[in-house]
Order: sequence, then C-alpha cells, then structure tokens
Amino acid sequence: MSTNVTGQFCGRDARLASRRDFLARAGLGFGMLAAADLLGREARAAERPAGKAKSVIFLFMHGGPSHIDSFDPKPLLNQLDGKPAPASFGKADFQFTKMDEVPLLGSPRTFRRRGQSGLEISDLFENVAAHADDLAVIRSLHHDGFTHVTGQNWMNTGWARVGRPSVGSWVTYGLGTENDNLPAFMVMLDGPIKAGSPAYGAGFLPAKFQGTVLRGEGPPILNVERTPMLDEGEQRRLLDSLGELNRRHFAARTDDSELAARIASYELAFRMQTSVPELAALDGESEATKKLYGLEEPATHDFGVQCLRARRMVERGVRFVQIYSGGRKGGAGTGWDGHNQINENHEVMARSVDKPIAGLLADLKSRGLLDSTLVVWGGDFGRTPFTDGAESGSGNRNGRDHNPYGFSVWLAGGGVRGGQAIGATDEIGLRAVEDKVHVHDLHATMLGLLGIDHSQLTYFFQGRDFRLTDVGGQNNLVERLT
Amino acid sequence: MTSGLKSGKTIEAVGKRLLPLVLAIAAGAPIAWSAPPDASAARAILERRCQACHGPQGMSGLDVTSREALLAGGKRGPSLVAGDPDASLLIQVISGRHELRMPMGREALPPDEVRTLTDWVRQGAPWGGGAAESEALWWSFRPPVKAEPPDASKNPVDAFIDATLESKGLTPLPRADKRTLVRRAYFDLHGLPPTPEQVDAFVQDDSPDAWPRLIDELLASPRYGERWGRHWLDVVRYADTGGFETDIYFPNAWRYRDYVIESFNDDKPYDRFVREQIAGDELWPDDLEARGSYDIPAEKKEHLEARIGTGMYTIGPIYHEAALDGRQLRYEWLTDVVDTTGLAFLGLTVGCSRCHDHKFDPITQRDYHRMMALFAGSEPHEEPVSHPMSQLGFYSGYPKILQVEELKAAVRRIDAGARQRLVRTIEARFPEEVVAAHRKPVHERSEAEIALAARLETALTEAGLKENAAGKEVDLSYTPDERRERESLLRRLGDAALGARFEPDTATVLGRAPVDYAVEMTSRGDFHGTGETVVAGFPKALTGGEERPATPPGAGERFILGRRTALADWLTSPEHPLTARVLANRLWQGHFGRGLAATANDFGKQGDPPTHPELLDWLAVDLREHGWRVKRMHRLIMTSRAYQRQSGPHEGNAAIDADNRFLWRMNRQRLEAEALRDSVLAVSGSLNLKMGGRPVIPPLTADEMQGMWSPDQWPVALDPREHDRRSVYLYVKRSFPLPMLTTFDAPDSSQSCSRRDVTTVAPQALAMLNSELMTEQARRLGERLREDAAGGPDAWIRRAWRLTLGRAPSEDETAVAMRLFAGSSDPGEALPQLALLVLNLNEFLYVD
Repeated sequence: MSTNVTGQFCGRDARLASRRDFLARAGLGFGMLAAADLLGREARAAERPAGKAKSVIFLFMHGGPSHIDSFDPKPLLNQLDGKPAPASFGKADFQFTKMDEVPLLGSPRTFRRRGQSGLEISDLFENVAAHADDLAVIRSLHHDGFTHVTGQNWMNTGWARVGRPSVGSWVTYGLGTENDNLPAFMVMLDGPIKAGSPAYGAGFLPAKFQGTVLRGEGPPILNVERTPMLDEGEQRRLLDSLGELNRRHFAARTDDSELAARIASYELAFRMQTSVPELAALDGESEATKKLYGLEEPATHDFGVQCLRARRMVERGVRFVQIYSGGRKGGAGTGWDGHNQINENHEVMARSVDKPIAGLLADLKSRGLLDSTLVVWGGDFGRTPFTDGAESGSGNRNGRDHNPYGFSVWLAGGGVRGGQAIGATDEIGLRAVEDKVHVHDLHATMLGLLGIDHSQLTYFFQGRDFRLTDVGGQNNLVERLT
Repeated sequence: MTSGLKSGKTIEAVGKRLLPLVLAIAAGAPIAWSAPPDASAARAILERRCQACHGPQGMSGLDVTSREALLAGGKRGPSLVAGDPDASLLIQVISGRHELRMPMGREALPPDEVRTLTDWVRQGAPWGGGAAESEALWWSFRPPVKAEPPDASKNPVDAFIDATLESKGLTPLPRADKRTLVRRAYFDLHGLPPTPEQVDAFVQDDSPDAWPRLIDELLASPRYGERWGRHWLDVVRYADTGGFETDIYFPNAWRYRDYVIESFNDDKPYDRFVREQIAGDELWPDDLEARGSYDIPAEKKEHLEARIGTGMYTIGPIYHEAALDGRQLRYEWLTDVVDTTGLAFLGLTVGCSRCHDHKFDPITQRDYHRMMALFAGSEPHEEPVSHPMSQLGFYSGYPKILQVEELKAAVRRIDAGARQRLVRTIEARFPEEVVAAHRKPVHERSEAEIALAARLETALTEAGLKENAAGKEVDLSYTPDERRERESLLRRLGDAALGARFEPDTATVLGRAPVDYAVEMTSRGDFHGTGETVVAGFPKALTGGEERPATPPGAGERFILGRRTALADWLTSPEHPLTARVLANRLWQGHFGRGLAATANDFGKQGDPPTHPELLDWLAVDLREHGWRVKRMHRLIMTSRAYQRQSGPHEGNAAIDADNRFLWRMNRQRLEAEALRDSVLAVSGSLNLKMGGRPVIPPLTADEMQGMWSPDQWPVALDPREHDRRSVYLYVKRSFPLPMLTTFDAPDSSQSCSRRDVTTVAPQALAMLNSELMTEQARRLGERLREDAAGGPDAWIRRAWRLTLGRAPSEDETAVAMRLFAGSSDPGEALPQLALLVLNLNEFLYVD
C-alpha cells in the first residue's frame, strides 16, 4: 500500500492519510518535531526545543520502594511506632491491609542531612546521598493504583489500565532518534516485570516507538545475532543479492515508499548486528570506570552493568533508557516488594543499586553529560507507614503494604536544580498533603525538561487526541526545578 | 428535537414496530432546512475546531455546543455578542485580534472559516433547532439507501467506482495479468500462496468463467474460514488468556475461535452470526435431553453452536486483581463488553462515554450505562457440550482422579519430611532462644524475640525455605528409602494420570447471572455508582432521540433473559443504519486493504466519511436483501474490474489522488503476520493443515522466552508436527504475544482491532534473516528444492522462484541468485541461502 509513509495503525487507521495531514493533526510546531521522525532528520535539527535535557534515564525500582525508609523522613512515625494510626490521618484502601487493624511501623533507618543543601536521605542510599546537591526529591507524588500492575502502568503510561503508550514511547515519538544505528528507546530488565511489555510498549503509537529490550544474557537484542547458517561474508553476499533483486522489483513500483523503507531496513538491521553488541560490550571501559559502577562486587555487578550501558546509550544518542531493578529472576523474586521483613529486603535491594546509581551520576557529571541527561528514580508506589496485613490476618510486623497515596521520586541532571525537596506527605507518610504532584504532573515535568509542552504532545486515536498526561499535568514543576 | 418527539409519538400511536429512528430523520430533515444555511456551517466549524476542548464541562468553563452556553461564555466572560463580531471574544481569538489565540496550539482556522463564523455572528448567531436533527443527518445514522447504480450494464461495484473516477478525471488501470490475479486471490481468500501448479492451472485456463470459478473454488476451501475468521478475531480482540500479571487461561476460548472459522466456512448469514454471538443462549435455549443415545441430534448441535457464539463475551482481558472487589471486576467486564459491542457491531467508539458524554458522537454517558445494563443480567458460564450420558459417564471415572490426588499427597508427605529435616538442621545451628522465638506465632513475639527470630528467618530464607528476593529454590535431600519410595510413587502417579480424565467437555458461554445487578451511573470511570439506576437500552440518538428500554414485547423492565435478544433484534433489524454498513465496509477492507470508510471501527464524527457513500450503502442493502451472505459479497467484489486492476504507478492519477482513495488501481498489500508465517511454512513444505482444537503452544528459543513473567505458563506442544499448524491456531497469550507475530504488527488483543498496523522496522529484517524459525524454514526449503528440482543451481533457482513468487526468474535475476553458489565446491551447501534469499524478497511479502 502506498497510502502513507509509516503505514496504518490499528483503530486510528488512515486518519494519517498523508504526511501533511499528520503535521496538521499532531499540532502546530510540536507536530513538526513528532513528524520529524517520519520525514527525516532535517526538521528535527531545525526545531529542537529549548529543554536542557536531551535524553532520559529512568531507574525503576520494581515492587515499590519505601519512601519513609529512604527519601522522606518521618520522625513522628517513629514516636508512634506500634500504635494504631491516629484517626486524624483518615482511611484509605490498600491491597491487603485494613489500616485500622495494624500498628504503625517506625523506620529503622537513620536519616541525615546531606551535602550543602542539607537534603535528608537515609543510610539505605549512602552513595546516592553523596550526590544530594544534584537531587530534587519530589515527596508528594501520588496516584491511585495500589496493585503492582496498576502502579507500574500509572508510572510508565499515565493510566492504570493497559494499552496506553509509555513515557519513553511518547518522548521518542516527540523527539525522534539521534542515532540511526540504535533504537531510540531502550530498556534493561533484570527479569520479567509484573506489568509486562506494555510498561515500555508503544500502546496506540506506531510500533517503532516501543522500547527495545537490551538483554542481560544471550544476544542483547532478539535476533541481532547472525544466523548460524551464514558466516559474515555469506550474509553480506546474500544481502547484496537481496538488495539488488528488491531494487529491481522497486524499479517498477517507485511510488511505493514502503518497499523502499523495507530495503533500507535490511541495511539498518545489518548495522545493528554490529552496533548493538558494541553498545553492550564493556571491554573498552577503564577499570576505574568499572569500579565506579561497582562492577567488581557481586552485589552491585548486575545493576552496575546496566547503569554503565545506560551511560553508553545516552553517549550514543539513545533518547530514553529505562532500567528496572527487582524483576523476577527465576524463582519467587519479590523485588522491592517488602511485605515481609522490609528492612532486610530493602537492605539487599538498595545495596544492589546504590553504588551503581551514584557511579552513574558521577560518571555522567565528569563527562559533561549530566546536564543533558535527566535521571529519574522511582518505583510502582511507596509503602505504608503501618505494618502489612497480608499474613494470617494478624499482620506481618516487619513489612509494609503498597502505598500509592503519597511517595517519593527524585530527579537529577537535565538542568534540574538539585538539593531541594518538593511537596510533603503527612506526618506519618501516608498521603501527599502539601504541593501534591500527581503522576501526570511528573510526566509533564519530565517532558517539560526535554523542552516538550505536554499539552501539545498529542496523538489521534479512536476518535480523539490523546496525551501522556490525559487532562492533568497542571502542577508542572519545570520552572521550580530549573 | 421537539418536533422529532412529536412525530415519534404519532408513530407509536399508530402502533407500528417501525423504529422511531426512521421517523426522526423524516421529521428532522425539514428542521435542518429551516435553520439558515449559515447556522449549520458555523456549527459544523465550532464542532470540528472547538468542541474537543470546549464541550459540556469544557476547558475554562466554555461550552460551544449551544447558543446559550456561548452567550454565557466561560471564565473569560461571554464568547458571543450576537450581531457584533468585533465585540465577540470567539471571533477575536480565532482571527488573531486577541492575545489569546485559538485553537490553542493548533493551526489557525483557514480564512474562509473565520469569515463564515464572523458572518454568522453578524447575522445574530442563529442556532436552528436542537441537537437531535443534526445527529439524525449524520451519514452513518441514516438507514442506507440502495441507489440505482449509474450504469446498469456493469458490475454495480464498477458502476459506482467508475462514475467517481470519471468525475475526478482519473484513469483506471488495466486488468492485472493472470499470474498477479491468481496470487492476489489466494493470498486474499486463503492467506497462502498458490502452488506453481495452481498458478499454471489458472494461467492456462482460457475459459471466460475461469476467474469466477477460481473464486468459487477458493471460497469452498476450509482455508478461507481460517483466513477471514482471523479478520473477525481481530475485531473481537480474541485471546486464549486474560492478560496482566496472572494471565488466567481460558480453557475454552478455542471453541469460539473454531466457531468463527466454521461460521465463515459455512457462509453463515451475518445476521445469524451477530444474533448467535450476542444472544445465542437466549434465542436457542436447549436442554439437550437424552433420546436414548450418546449422539446429539443435529438440530441440538446447531443450538449448541449458537451458544458457543456468545463465547465472544468470555474472552476479553481480565484484570485478575480487580477481583479483589467483585464490583470492580464486574464493572471492568461490562466495560469490555460494551466497548467491544460498540466497536465490532456498531462501528462506534462508545468507550469514550464510560466516563463522560462522547465529545463528538451523540453517545451519552447514560447511553453507555444503559448498554452496560443490557449485559448486567448475564455472566460467563461453563456449560457441558456433550450428551447427558457422557456427562454422567465422566463421574464414573472420577475415582481415578482421586487416585492421582492420593499419589500426589503421598509424594508431598515425603517432601514435607525432608523439608522438616532441613529446617531442624538449620535450627540446630542456632541457640535455643532463637529457635524458641521463631516458633512463637508472629504477633505474640516481643521486640527482643522479633530480633532473635529474624536471624533464623534469614538463614531459612537463604536456604530457599522462605520466599526470597534472590529466587533461590530449596534443595531437598532424601534418604535412600525415601528416594526409592518417591520414585515408585512418581511412576504410579504417571500411570494413574494417563488413565484419568481431568475435565469434562465444556464451553464457556454467556448465561443468566444469579442476580440481576442494577447498573448505576458512575462518575468519571470510578466503579462506585452514584446511586442513579439506569434501565437497559440502546444509544438514544440511534432510536430517534428517545430512550427505548430494551425489553422484549410484553416483558417488564426487569426481564433478564431477553435484553440481549432485544439488542440482537435491534442490530439485525432491516432499519438499522450501522450493522450492514459496518460489515460491508469490513469486507471491502479485507479485499482492498482499506475500507470505503477508512476507519472501520469509527463511523462517528471523528471517523473518515466514506469515499463512495452510495456504493457502501448499495452494498449494505444488497447484503441484507440477499440473506446477509458473506461469500456472495466476496464474489461480487472480486469479480469487479476494480478488484482486478494492476497495482502499478500512474503519474497523472497520482497527481490527483496519490493515496488511491478512489481506486484507480489495486492497493499493494503486505502479508499480515499470520499470512507471512503460514506462507513461509507452505513454501518450505512444512505447513500442517490440521484444523481446530486447543491452541498450539509453539517452542520458543531461550532468548525469546526472556521477559515472560511465568515460563511455567508455556507448556510447549510436544508433537513437532503441531508446531507447523496455521498461525490462527497458535496460542494467543495476552501478556506474551508471539515475538514473530508481534514484530509484524499482530494486534495486542487488548481491544478490538479494526485494521492492522503496517510498520516497516529493522527488527522485522532481523527476524526474517536471523530467527530460529526462518533458519529452520530456510533449511527445509533448501531440502525441498533439492528434492523437487534435479540439475543444480539453475533448476533450484527456477523452482525457488516458482514456489515463492509463482513465476520463473528472469535471466538477470538468475544471475544475481547464482552469486550465492559462487566459489563453493558443493553447490548444495548454498541451498538454504537461496531459500533465505527468496523468502526475504519484497515480491514475496508484498502482494501486487
């Protein structure tokens, strides 16, 4: 079919009847950028928005890290340890726990003022804390998804149900790629995640904007390893013959850009066979760098490798990188999901990411990349200030349930002014109460730091224009953060 | 509106069953004309340009959907000063005479639209009647009318299309050659390439009816139902599991899939197909009473099949954790049911109205909830599909299941013993007070005991005896006796399992819910109702602007069985404006790659209006008039000259209609994911044409398996011949779609897919070059070439071309392909390379 350039998309089909039409629909100005990816690279260069950040690294703590044990100190909670939550804090629904049946649980962690700013961070993240003056902690994030899948969907796609495009897809849809030999949106997992591939999927955006998983084991991208049937020379010869035959076929059908695109895609595929393994390989990195990321220690090796690869990606112009910590590895891995013995769980999990994240921040900074790279840390949600009611109905005195009503994320780099905390939860960390920041606001802010007006980044689907931020995003923090 | 109401009442007084809709239109037309023409033009602009943001409860409080609301304005004060464009904020913001520019962030309105609105305000901003008549005039809400084709001597399809071509100054391309046509027909109707012999047979057949005979042959083959059934499975978001984290398995989804395939193969009238899927249980109830034999009489089988049709409503995505609250689970189910019904049968995006009135189409939130109520008295049931004799027979074999359970319990006892020993061994490493603290119930432990118990807890976790973050599994050791006993039990368990039958034959269908849940209005998609109960019904705008309760004649409003019947009756009534149109358009899309209306699931105001409205109407009415027969429609379309045209370029035409909206040529189409995989298997000689049954779970490579949340949910079919079945029979796991199929744009089955994406990305090339599937198929095709064609590279190349492209290679092409054999002492070794080459040709994937 020669009806349009990238093709027809399920449900919204053929509304993009032509490229010009696409421009008109994608919205003035910003649409030019969104379309740049379709039109070629020129438009992008001409219209790059003014945001300082060019790329994003989204560190996702799968399972839901506890804000009250890490970035949101709650002295009153420790005083009330073991007591029921005072009625003044109100009621809320949780996955397992009925909050009037369980006692509050103080934090065993020690919070200290860090850096020149004095930002308070707990001893779970001693290494990250050394970068306190680069971190802007949002302590009043909230959504309403109290199960993992809904929480992960909210944080990644701005919607509880499955099917919306992920934030990485929106960003690459908006800004395109800067490296034609690599996918613009790449994801690294340490095991499957509960929300599955929709968490980094393109939803109703064209499939080319979905996250490509860079695998930890085996070939880094599915099928990127040459078939065992051919050696390199044979494959090149086959591709040459194929190209020639396909060009002959095209000669009688020159008005069909899809045929031309498919011919070109084989050359990109061929280059990816080299560029992707090169990206994944760390041989060229110095010992000092590897040490910085904790590669020599078993506890930090895996996440360190991913962080180092993330830096290599942004160096090479990959637009959006997402790294997960705490996916399922084989057995009954629980990630950051500290229903039982949260302190032990978080010690193990934090130890595995703390040094690599600090290393990433330091490395980006020393290479002058931190200014153009927005680093975001967060998870499905935070955790409850009271104990978990999951086990035997009587509650597990050492764990915390999911809490989407108020929790913390932090941002660094990409022009963000560090050393500040935005918003606050109530005195026990149950709910965001001051300067509340909804997930839509977080997304609006992330887009804003990239120079994108979230209200203008739209896609027409099933009868209307959709945005990442739906009808929200009013509390855009860009001005306060930069 | 007022006058529409009056007319509606008159008609009901007459007592005809005729839908008020028809009357509303008859009554609506004069009203529309009574408004000054400028009013409708102005309103159309407001609707198109402004309403998305400024509908009811619009941004900044501004609502452009009525004159009163415009006069009242929003946060910035009145938008309209009737008669004074300069003083009207509306005109200021669209003409650049105000700091605020509208539409916000969009292209400015073209000058002629600004002029129309300005003139309209100057004339006092007349509005005309209410909203109803403009809805009634919307093309897809009018019943289709069968116009006389412009040229009686032609196939009616050509008569309409040629007339448009002529009026646009477009030159239709000539008929494609016979080789192109035979490939087009096979891929279109079967999703498979013709064999070289099938190509020859058609090319050499000079009889005048060779083409229609070919079409009839293809329609008679069961391959047709597999191909076109798959199109329908897209529309009903078919899958074998519920998706999300737990991704529950639907044991009987395949029965619905087979039902769809059989329905297409049987040329089941579409109205019957719709009625079965919506209300098969209500319309054809049957008790399957025994008649002295295990056989089910034919008529009853037919009723059973009708019930399986309702399986459509039992295979949607199920967010398992929503079951934490039964109300939410039901609300999510009803949402999927109403959304899918709207998209599949009505071609309307009713889903927008779950949380608020539709911003563009006349579907209200209340309509949406009334549609929910159509299904609120129903729920999925598992029903036996065998004769009562067989059902009872199942229970005579039940003790064998008990035997299996006994053996499992015996094995578990041994494991528990070994586990207990391991716990004791670990406990022995700790002081007594630690063990004592750990043995206390969790909530009885003191602070000190908690700390003590934690030490042991950690050790147990590390041994894999507790759920742990590292995913470590426990490693049990058995005594020699235990080991012997365990192995013996496992053998007996295997034998017992072989002899037992674990599940009776059932189908999952819709049935009557034990409680007729009242459907309440909700607020912004929150499933907690507002307390206002609604009565089941259809969208008001489609029933003449009046709320008509969906109850069968003579039944009270609370009648449960019968609401879906009422829905089925309404959808398949001759007056219904959408059902036949939506189907005719889907059929057209299947053949041409794009419907006459390009948005097959959106016949509303945001959808694309049809390029050939008279033709679409003609097809819709003709379909209905001829018993809703789908195969007849295929014949009619495929025997048109429009279908048989070349797909090549034409400069003159491209200058006028580059997108071929008016069909001066055939659209070139890429094979869909399933057709591509099936064609590769067919060409390599591997395709297994076995039909029906449980979904086939194909093997995946370890690389492909990465990312699957529960690998234990992927029990691979152990018979390798099963792996070569047609793609429509492969397992559709919502949380893990098959990589090869997703890469080529298979839908994600989270919601109805009206039309596949066609993307062209590098991972497709990687899959086609490097995947294990392609490597294996290239090897098999290489073998086949060696067997089929003696005589070395020349003959192999010829055969390869004939198998994949249905034609002989040119000399040049042969020379290019010959390069693969250069410098090789054993040319046979390069056969898989030749195979991989031809399977990657654009000409193989793109059908002219």
